[in-house]
Amino acid sequence: MIIRWVCENCNKKWIYPVEKCVYCKGNIEKQKGSKIKVVGITKVTIPSPMHPIIPYNILLLQDEFGNRIPRKTMKEYKIGDDFVLQKAKTKDAVAVVKVKYDVYEAIKESIELLNGIGLNPNDKILVKPSVIAAAYPYQAVNTNPDFLNALLIVLFEHGIKKENIIVAEQALIGSDAKDAASKAGILEICKKNGVEFVDISKCPFEHIESDGYTFRVFNEALKRKVINAPIMKTNFQLGISGALENLSRLVDEKTQRNMYFDNIEKTLPKLAKAISNIFTVADATNGMQGQGPLALGEPAFLNLVLASRNAAALDSVFCEATMLPIPQYVTDYSDNLDVKKIEVVGNEVDALKYPIKQPIATDTAHPDIKVIDGKSCPSCLNIMYNLTSKLVGLRGEQINLIMGSMPTQDMINGKERLVVLGDCAIKKIWDLRIKHIAKIDENIGEVEQLVLLKKMLTTEGKPKITPVDRVKSKMKKLISKVIG
Amino acid sequence: MYIKGVGMTKFGAQTTTSQELVYEATLEALEDANFKIEDIDAIVVSAIDNESNGERQRLFSNVISSILKKKVPILTSTAVCGGGGAALWTANKLDYNNVLVVGVERLLSTNSMRVTDEIMMAAERIYEQTEGMNFPAQNALVAQQYMLRYGATTDDLALVAFKNHKNAFLNPKARFYKKKVSLEEIKNSPIVASPLRLFDCSIPANGASALILSKDKTDVEITGSAEETDYLAPFEREDMTSWDASKLAADEAYKQAGIAPDDVDIAEIHDAFTSVELISYEDLGFCRKGEGKEMVRKGLTNIDGRMPVNTSGGLKAKGHPISATGVSQIYELVKQMRNEAGERQVSNVKHALAQNIGGAGSTVTVHVLRKVGS
Repeated sequence: MIIRWVCENCNKKWIYPVEKCVYCKGNIEKQKGSKIKVVGITKVTIPSPMHPIIPYNILLLQDEFGNRIPRKTMKEYKIGDDFVLQKAKTKDAVAVVKVKYDVYEAIKESIELLNGIGLNPNDKILVKPSVIAAAYPYQAVNTNPDFLNALLIVLFEHGIKKENIIVAEQALIGSDAKDAASKAGILEICKKNGVEFVDISKCPFEHIESDGYTFRVFNEALKRKVINAPIMKTNFQLGISGALENLSRLVDEKTQRNMYFDNIEKTLPKLAKAISNIFTVADATNGMQGQGPLALGEPAFLNLVLASRNAAALDSVFCEATMLPIPQYVTDYSDNLDVKKIEVVGNEVDALKYPIKQPIATDTAHPDIKVIDGKSCPSCLNIMYNLTSKLVGLRGEQINLIMGSMPTQDMINGKERLVVLGDCAIKKIWDLRIKHIAKIDENIGEVEQLVLLKKMLTTEGKPKITPVDRVKSKMKKLISKVIG
Repeated sequence: MYIKGVGMTKFGAQTTTSQELVYEATLEALEDANFKIEDIDAIVVSAIDNESNGERQRLFSNVISSILKKKVPILTSTAVCGGGGAALWTANKLDYNNVLVVGVERLLSTNSMRVTDEIMMAAERIYEQTEGMNFPAQNALVAQQYMLRYGATTDDLALVAFKNHKNAFLNPKARFYKKKVSLEEIKNSPIVASPLRLFDCSIPANGASALILSKDKTDVEITGSAEETDYLAPFEREDMTSWDASKLAADEAYKQAGIAPDDVDIAEIHDAFTSVELISYEDLGFCRKGEGKEMVRKGLTNIDGRMPVNTSGGLKAKGHPISATGVSQIYELVKQMRNEAGERQVSNVKHALAQNIGGAGSTVTVHVLRKVGS
């Protein structure tokens, strides 16, 4: 489809969305061309960072109104050919659509390419965005509010009543969902559309069993159709945070901790299998690369909307397009679904491929603090991110921070100045009888955690918190409470 | 306004800093004008901060202030590849006695993939960049439409390249100076973006060029100076094979100069791609639409032809250091008008034209020069 924004009054045309005609102040309507022909082709043989795979073709397409757009393809066409996008034929198909300044149209097209979501007007819907921490939309930590807004409009157009839609999420353990949703612009979108935002952590949960594992799942996720609306990001622990990972916050805090303690890569696929009725429409408009999933990662202009009934297929296609390795938990969930065999509709994956920055599993916000991650839960992840961010600029001797329940002797061999963070890691290190210079209890105040880590960074040998530090810490805690 | 002096560095792959390049070109222009730097009342500079190896420099105007020790108004005027022409157009609008115009670029400071990417930033972000539309691809689609409509061939494009390489062979400031390129080499060079081959594309280079514009009468007068702008993406324009900005700028410049296209004796045309030179013959009024191919087939634009085009070697073979290109075109025309062009001298040049383009026909300046006394 080729879209132009056209003045109803004077017929002036724009390739950009405008609301009023700057000439006659007339209203603007969209002109959507659907009878598209190939009128030009060039085969490009020189690579560029965003287009490293050559050769590729660029088609010059023209619609019945004479409007043109270029489109990259790896397929061969001839001038005069019709250009038609095929709809999905398989249930695991993934739709990939580039956003041409109009995320609403891209979402709609992605759904149409999958032959619709299959909703009835009386359906009750749970929209599950990613809202993990208080961050501005430009930081690409959370699902973009404009994306959510467009998705809600599409749902309304399916006849779904606003009172039958909830937008539900819980932030990372230790963060407040409403604070996060507020800064992320998500609350405002919910309010504007008359849709309730629900903090999952404060809701009832139900026990369910899946593949021998017990989950306490948000009860509405079991009653409603779930529209999974993650933002697509890198994740230094899991490879990516996408369609599957977004489901991990549909369980209560205790289950989340257990899932990580028992190896999130094994438990997450089990959870995903337990929740049926999921349709994913993923926000890869401005995704994240590098050290995601929090603000240490960098926003990555991807300009894509992905959709699928199969969350793992969607994650796999995203990894293919961004040239990231497909995480084990994704392939496990999909029973080793071969990414090359996934039906992709809309844009071709090979024509999209370009390498975004991969996360480095050992890096933190601080260059002298490395992490040995034994799959820590979001609580310790949050603590690690906050502490290391606050010490940026203070150089010292390298320390290795051990987190999670699954560090192994192999991961630790050859590493010095070990610092253990969080209950799971402390227990594991005790079991393994591994020497360390300090441990940071996840339950002490952040100020004390910070003082301790700072001392370890700047002091040789085994640092301790002195009574003076404790007093200082309590004072700071008190002051921060008073200030609010 | 008159042109008092011109200067330029050799266009090449030198690792000289941008400051040094500016200094060298300015010094030559000052000497040519028999001026002291104190005589300069204002400066207009064009540079796109393109040192993609990481040595980036914003506020280059203040670097110019520092290196030339000048505390006068210094403006920046950029339009990517059309930046030099835009700077001259801006300078011509200023009410100062003597204005220095400088264009500079270090395009070659990293690998070609990064250079391609840097230049691609001047294509439309969503519709073009995300579809892999680098500049050769953008111009290839335009060239294809043009060839389909008017029957021009890749052999015609090769003739443009061959002509400009022959001219650059004679130009000591050109990147391809004394480097022979055969028609066969051009025709057999690898495809970059079909139908365009490597030798259809201009050659990237580092360099600077400078000129001094003055109210004092000299031997070369700027009689026409026009700048026009079109939509960024060619696919959005009604006709991709003819560039409105070029036509409008040319019409305006001819009107100001009081001449017709036939009066032009010599031209420096923005041959970022060989196809652009062909299309420009038509947009500038040197021939009718679709007849550009005939001009090159008949050799009319050869150095000994009826109207020589790109005697410097053009962007094609002299080199194309983005913002420095537009001013370097004036350098060549002034040298021709003063009979200082050496082996590539064209006789009896009275009226000369420079066309400088930013993007694929997006920002175009046309300047008409007159040999005073002619």
